[in-house]
Parts: sequence; structure tokens; C-alpha cells
Amino acid sequence: MFDMKISLFSNTKELEQKIDMLHDKIIEVAMVFKKAVNVYLKEKRSPEYRKLSKEIKTIEHDADVLRRDIENRLYSQNLIPDLRGNVLELVENLDKVINEFDEVAHQFYIEQPVIPEKYFERFKELVAQVCECAENLAMASRAFFRDFSVVRDYSKKVYMLEHESDKTTASLKEAVFDSDLELAHKLQLEAFLSEVADIADLAENCVDQLLIYVIKRDI
Amino acid sequence: MDISYWFFLSSGLFLGWSLGANDASNIFGTAVGTKMVKFNTAAVIASVFVILGAVFGGAGATATLGKLGSVNALAGAFMVALAAALTVYWMSRIGLNVSTSQAIVGAIIGWNLYCGLPTDVTVVLKIVSTWVLCPLLAAAVAVIIYTLLSKSMKTWRIHLLKRDFYLRIGLIVMGALCAYALGANNIGNIMGVFVDSSPFKSVNVAGILQLSGVQVLFLLGGIAISVGIVTYSHKVMLTVGNGLLKMTPLAALTVVVAQTAVLFLFSSQALQNFLLAHGLPALPLVPVSSTQAVIGAILGIGMLKGGRGINWSITGKIMLGWVVTPLMAMLICFVCLFFLENVFNQVVYVPQI
Repeated sequence: MFDMKISLFSNTKELEQKIDMLHDKIIEVAMVFKKAVNVYLKEKRSPEYRKLSKEIKTIEHDADVLRRDIENRLYSQNLIPDLRGNVLELVENLDKVINEFDEVAHQFYIEQPVIPEKYFERFKELVAQVCECAENLAMASRAFFRDFSVVRDYSKKVYMLEHESDKTTASLKEAVFDSDLELAHKLQLEAFLSEVADIADLAENCVDQLLIYVIKRDI
Repeated sequence: MDISYWFFLSSGLFLGWSLGANDASNIFGTAVGTKMVKFNTAAVIASVFVILGAVFGGAGATATLGKLGSVNALAGAFMVALAAALTVYWMSRIGLNVSTSQAIVGAIIGWNLYCGLPTDVTVVLKIVSTWVLCPLLAAAVAVIIYTLLSKSMKTWRIHLLKRDFYLRIGLIVMGALCAYALGANNIGNIMGVFVDSSPFKSVNVAGILQLSGVQVLFLLGGIAISVGIVTYSHKVMLTVGNGLLKMTPLAALTVVVAQTAVLFLFSSQALQNFLLAHGLPALPLVPVSSTQAVIGAILGIGMLKGGRGINWSITGKIMLGWVVTPLMAMLICFVCLFFLENVFNQVVYVPQI
């Protein structure tokens, strides 16, 4: 009986660590992505960018492994039956955010878009907003597992940053289409801007659901 | 061994089976309903502890004869037990959680009426007051416990998974203790009347454990309760655990703790004596039943959450079941005693001189 209790407790502890690690992965991928974009703007598809892009891929792969492991353990050990569905959805949504970072980084690597220097600052600003948005999502989600009361605070930050990123994207798109660039070039830049902004949108969707889970728990 | 003894004993065993099928829901209903404990796990734990309670907690108790002790003929006791068992079985069949004790008392009243004996009105009043007072007390206690527990959970910021682990352990430990109490408190009602004519001799189990003849008889009763739990308690467990209110694991544990607290605080003569002896204000002793306490505690939590989640139709059915149970047991007993005495020529009552 005692052994069973110890093993159950260690299983719980292990899963708790894995969920924490998944949140760490979001913060990690956001930081590496920000660095990678800065490198890309300076050096284009340099070996350094290639290295960072690979690092993002590894984080994405690790997050996938973690997600599957968390899902398996939640079901096989019959844990948190009342919230299992919500936690599974949450974990999948967090993984989608990480996947989006990887996709955008990979697209930069493949398409090598030419970003005129005059847009650098605003582009960096957009990336910073999007990354901060993802980091706050990670904190909101982490709080969901421990302290519901602060989920709302981090969610508010996510909403604000997403709104800011929308504004930055709109102003950048406007500037791109007002410029003398070729239409194909304009469309390519517009697609890239949308892809980057999508990361914040995914974070916002995830937070929307998170707040519903919190309301459901409070009833 | 006299075959007629086994025949009469069969109704006691049937009553044990019915008790297991119905009363296990008070112990593990909320845990199984919230999927915190699998039915198989709950059934095994409850069975083992019910048997332990029956053999080691029930034997030697002063009131081993239980309520059926007042029925002074074996054939009469057989019919009282059978009537109670049939009633509880029928209620379990339709998934309703009822009090086995009240079914037994109802059947005894039927026997009293048949034999022309007077029935103590206080017994009837006691049953009726249990239907009202006990759920109200349990609801109030559950609200206090739930509020305290949920506040503590928020203050301590326990991780969801750890909280899940602690609640699960709590449900299992409380379930095991309650199962032990169920076996210890009810074995007298089921087997008590068969003690005097018991043919069982003391046995030695593997040279480590000595069981007296009474303990062997109670072991048999305990096994009957266990079989009831394993084979027929799932439906009632789901009614208690999920039918009345969609419950969270925290609410599930609250219900079991509130039930135990109500039974202990408001029915323990020992506690009252202790408090009075130490100059402390004593809580009033009121008739309580685990069945009514569990339903009251669930409704209390439901009301605390605004009352919208409560399934009032099932609540109504359960409450109707409480009223119907003693009446039905009384009627079955009365009618069947007539046949037992007049068709099968059995002595159902020994007149006292």
C-alpha cells in the first residue's frame, strides 16, 4: 500500500514536471525565435540562422514528445478526471503555438524574403510583441495548474499584446502596399506578416479557452 | 447441520447482499461517480473492509442481535429480513439510495402489526425525523467543509495533479474506514438473530488467526455484503455520484467527510458524554442515517453552487424512495407472515408470558 502510494506520488510529480517543461518550451521557443529573426534581418540565411532554426525545430520536436507523453499519462493513469478534457485541449493548443513558431522560422529559411531595411524596426517590434504574447500565455497556462486567480492577469496581458501586434501588422502591411515594391514582393511580405501575427492570434485563442475552463471550475 | 437453519439464514444473507448493493453507494458513490476511483477498485476495497468490519468490529459488540433481536421466532426473523431485503433490492434495481436500517424497522413494524404487538411511536417519529433533520444537518456540514476545503486549496496553491492525488487518497482512505464501519455497524442487523442457533464452531486460520463461531457467522454475512457490493452496487453508486449533481472530486470528498462528521457528531453518545464531562456544550443527539446524510450533503453542495445543477427529479424520486421503503417492507412482511404461518405452518411469534 505504501509502495503503491509512493509510486503514484512519483508518477504525479513526474507528470507535473513534464507539464512545467512544456510551458518552459514555449518561453524557450519564443526567445530563440526572436533571436533568429534578428539574425535573419542582419545576415539572412546565414549558418547562425540555420543553427537557430534547427534549435527551434528541436524545441518543437521535444514539445511534441512532451505533449504525447502528458496525454498518454493523463489517460492511462486516469488522472484529473474532471479536468482531463480541458487539460488535453490546453496542451494541444500550447503545442500549436510552438508549431507556428517553427513553421514561420522554417518559412524564413525556405523563402528567404527580402525585407527592406526601413521596416526592420517595426518588424522587430512585431516579433517582440508576438513573443511576449506567447510568454504570457505560458504563464497564464502555468497559473491554471496552480493559482486560478492570476490566470486572468496574464490573460489580460495576452489580449493587450495581441491587440498591439494587430496594430503593428496593419501599419506594416499598409506601409508595404504603399511602397514601390513589386506586387509579388508585397504579397510575400504580407503573407509573412500574417504568419507572424498568427502566433499572437493562436495565443489569444488559447487564452480564451483557458478563461472558460477557469469559469467552469469556479461554478 | 440442520438444513432449516441454512434456509432461515438465507434471508439474512440476502439482506446482507441487498445492504451491500445499496449502502456501498454511500461510501464510494461520489468517488466512482466522479471517476476518481474505478468501480472495480472501489468494490474490492469496500468488500475487504466490510468483511474486516463485520468479523472484527461487529463480533463481541453488546448489541449483536441488532434490531431483529426483538423478533423472537426464527421464522419471523426470516420473514422480517426477507421483506427488508426484497424492499432494498427493489430500490437498488431502480437505482435509488435507501436506508437498509429503515427497511428493517419497517419490516419489524409489519411483524408487530401481524402479531398484534404495540409499536413504539417514537421509532416511527425517529424515522420521519431522519428524513428531514439528517439531510439538513448534512447539508449544513457539507457547506462548511466544502467552503473550508476550497478556500484552503486556493490559499495553498496546490498543483492540480497533486490536488488530484490527495483527493484520491482521501476518497480511498475515507471509503475504507466507512466500509469498515458499515460492516461493523450492520452485521448485527443481518446476522445477529442467527447467533443463538449458530452451528458454527471456532476455527483456526493458518495457525495465526482464531475466529470464534460468531465471527465465522459474521464472516459469512460480511461475504454476503461484499458480493452485493461487487455484483449490484454500480447503478446506485452512479445515481449518488452523478445523478443528483455533476460533482467535482473536491465535492466528492466533502460528501464522504460530511457524512462521517454528521454520523459522529450528532449520534455519538460517547462524544456527548465526553463533552459534558469536560464542561463543554454538547451537540444534540438526533437520529441520523448515512443514506440521508449523503444525499443531504450532495444537495448542500449543489445549493452552495446556486442550485442550478441539482437534478430535482432524481432528488424527488430518492426522497419518495425513503418514504416508500419502510412502508413497503412493512406491507411485504405483514402479507408474507400470513402465508408463512398459515400455509407453511411456521411459528412466527413466541408469546411472552
